[in-house]
Amino acid sequence: MTWSNLEYIADKLSSKLKEKVDEYLILVDESKKRMLKLANGEASVTQSWDNIEIGLYIARGNGKMLSIGLSTTSPEKAVGNIISLLDSMEPSPMYAPLPEASGEDYSLTDQAIIQYLEGTRELDLAGDLALSEIGNSAGMAEIRYSKIMLANSMGGFLRGEKTKFTGYIRVFKGDRSGQWSWTSPRYDGGKQAKLSIEKARDLAEECSRLPMGKIEPGEYRVLLSPMIAGNLVGELVRAANAGRIVYGMSFINPGMIGEKLFSSMLTIRDEPRNPELPGYTSFDDEGVSTKDKSVVEKGVLRTILHNSKTAKLMKTRTTGNAGIIMPRSFNLNVSPGDSPLSELLETLGNGLYLTNNWYTRYQNYSEGIFSTVSRDSVFLVKNGEFKACLNRVRVADKMINLFSNIEALGREVWPLEWWEIKPSAFIPHILVGKTGVSLPEI
Amino acid sequence: MSVESFDPDILGKLVHSAIREGASYAEARFHSLYGNRIGLMNGRVFTAGYEEQVGVAVRVIHGGGLGFASTDKLDQDSLYKAVSTALSNARISSSIQKHGIEMDESRLGSTRYSVYQKKPLESLSLTDKLAEVKERANAADLNMEGIQLKSFMLFYNELAERKIIVTSDGGYVEAEIPRAYVRHNLTASNGSENRNRYSVIAWTGGFEGLDEKNLTSSLEDDMRSLGIVLTKAKASPKGKMDVVLGPELAGIAVHESIGHPSEADRILGREAAQAGLSYWRDYKIGDRIGSNVATVIDDPTIPGAFGFYLYDDEAVPARPRYLLYKGLINEMLQNRETARLFGVKSNGAARARDFKSEPIVRMANTYFATGDYSFEELIEDVRQGIYIKKYMEWNIDDYRWGARYVGLEAYLVENGRLGDPVKDPVLEITSPSFYTSVDAAGRDLKLYPGFCGKGEPIQGVPVTMGGPHIRLREVIVK
Repeated sequence: MTWSNLEYIADKLSSKLKEKVDEYLILVDESKKRMLKLANGEASVTQSWDNIEIGLYIARGNGKMLSIGLSTTSPEKAVGNIISLLDSMEPSPMYAPLPEASGEDYSLTDQAIIQYLEGTRELDLAGDLALSEIGNSAGMAEIRYSKIMLANSMGGFLRGEKTKFTGYIRVFKGDRSGQWSWTSPRYDGGKQAKLSIEKARDLAEECSRLPMGKIEPGEYRVLLSPMIAGNLVGELVRAANAGRIVYGMSFINPGMIGEKLFSSMLTIRDEPRNPELPGYTSFDDEGVSTKDKSVVEKGVLRTILHNSKTAKLMKTRTTGNAGIIMPRSFNLNVSPGDSPLSELLETLGNGLYLTNNWYTRYQNYSEGIFSTVSRDSVFLVKNGEFKACLNRVRVADKMINLFSNIEALGREVWPLEWWEIKPSAFIPHILVGKTGVSLPEI
Repeated sequence: MSVESFDPDILGKLVHSAIREGASYAEARFHSLYGNRIGLMNGRVFTAGYEEQVGVAVRVIHGGGLGFASTDKLDQDSLYKAVSTALSNARISSSIQKHGIEMDESRLGSTRYSVYQKKPLESLSLTDKLAEVKERANAADLNMEGIQLKSFMLFYNELAERKIIVTSDGGYVEAEIPRAYVRHNLTASNGSENRNRYSVIAWTGGFEGLDEKNLTSSLEDDMRSLGIVLTKAKASPKGKMDVVLGPELAGIAVHESIGHPSEADRILGREAAQAGLSYWRDYKIGDRIGSNVATVIDDPTIPGAFGFYLYDDEAVPARPRYLLYKGLINEMLQNRETARLFGVKSNGAARARDFKSEPIVRMANTYFATGDYSFEELIEDVRQGIYIKKYMEWNIDDYRWGARYVGLEAYLVENGRLGDPVKDPVLEITSPSFYTSVDAAGRDLKLYPGFCGKGEPIQGVPVTMGGPHIRLREVIVK
């Protein structure tokens, strides 16, 4: 991948747009990616992608605006067609003038990853996953390299490039299982992958050694592993996204900034500048310089994530979290506590240790009423010790209740990303008192 | 190279070159998706634009390993490079494979088809579409006594699909399938409580679908539901009782608890780390998991339905699949890889969302088969129960065993008559319990659209799910 290819696309589009629109922003993202997917302890498929994504925004100063998303190397015709429609648009209530491209170029890359994707170096992804040692397992490992170029009508021009090594593994022991993930901007020789495999295998083995238990629906003290905590923290941060608030699909509103909504133990930061996570970027999709900031600080809602458009709508300033139309977070980091897992289990006393989840859905977005289903190992804990393994249960509660009832956080944070955890995040264990737990009636 | 100058003959050449390099199977797919999109915020256009994805996917089997490569670069060099990448990938797979992958010997199509559009999506300008969508949205009377509309978001999207699929064993399919959908979210308040209703209307065909689906009345009906819940609904009764489900809930139930578990790749464990496994692993074809009333069909060939297609993405002809027949497990959804492992023929369930996606086993239009009851007959001998018309929250575990559905608009049923509205009844039930509890199905049938997610990277494909009103006897409501 060369910069000249991206520059060629940006130049061609710029020259097409320059005389015809008042404002434009071009975002070109070229990426190469390879993914090894596993099932039943063997490869099910190995996939590669070589793609360019073009995001384009055009506007008149009177508020008429259009956006285009293209995955093609010949965007001129689509762009030509859309320019002619701009004047027939009505001014958008979301319009705000494009901000200055205040960000700077960045590069957070690992040569091993780049060379692997360019075919000049071998990496043993299969070896990293140590398939022969773990038996029945499923998961994936992905390696990615992307170059991002941004150009706007004010002469702003920014470039960024980054790499990523991410994946997850689910290990089965009979009908019990454990799952864990990892994510990093660098290839570390498979160290994180191996740690994840060990975590997943240990959970599956621990569960398989225990008798099956049964519980009644009700309120329980629960210890959330980083895998499930990461999913629920992601939900909380999405609720603090101005786009979701505008859509009416959030239990958070701008009037809550400064309010203590959650446990004082909870601090969640959006950290686009964290070089240990692959969502790293020094500029957002509007070219605005990104900054690390607390979304929740010691339980107090500090930030609603904005781009320039939602910011104008809510009479505030962009937080440097732009997607082209709606805001987004880049990397999340939950501040750890000081307890090792053994101490968290002791503090939990009697309750449940949930190790993974999926399918979080809301009955009422505005009130944050939701449920999510556990998967993999669920442990019944008595007096701080694992007593039984349980079938799948649900956490069914209100988001604000859940995050208000935090009693402790683990001291170890894990870099995670998978189907149910996006964006990439550092997450500790979270111990929550008095949480609604339900399960199907036969 | 532009889309217009793309020569489909090259797909055959790519396939042949993979075979020459030692592949036992190869397939090349040109796949484009394009269309306009419009967003309305409280009745005003706040965003509009165009999306286009064009590229080629190559899939090969070499040494028993499966390799896939996707590119949006349509020049010859890049396309042949995609072939060599797919071959390298197959070799990586093969190096850590205990069992070689093979395709079954299904009859393959050599054909071309396109969906008729009365008002072709491409024949109208974005400006015209914008005016029409806005007119219908703003014609909806969203004033309800006792509640205030806090937010009204609406999105119109098109997903016009063109693809050409060539396989090394003679399959050739060209398809043009235009689709469009409208999503809306209404948020309303009674002063102390807020509620949302999110729903979708969608179709396969041209812009005429917007008239046929009646967006205006759909919005008014959802606002009426919010009004009922926010001003009249009382706490739901709890305990064991009869429950009548509307087609919307019957639809999500069959999608989640029959459609997904019937996917052969899931049963084989191929999606175990993503969408999970299936309780069908513990059963065999012919086992009973439901009453005689419970028949569930997945049919890609329903004209106009959002999940419509006639040939799948491995060039296999589509046909209706009777997944559950009179309560008995009858048929799995198969692609060519899984069909060979089960010793059957593919039933045309391989779908790929776009050129970046491998074809995997997917549903299309899944529904509970109709019975012969009217709605009145379904409720007339319910002494004490509830009727759930619409829902919001749902989920199911990754074994597709235990599901949870929470009603939005729901009513008491007392002595055979509909009573007062009730709030948030929860049905949390195992899949076999659900299907053995069904004792009657209505003669009405309605399909609801959605995007079904599966695979890695996750692919959302257009589907519908539905059924008639159905009645469950003696189930627990929470």
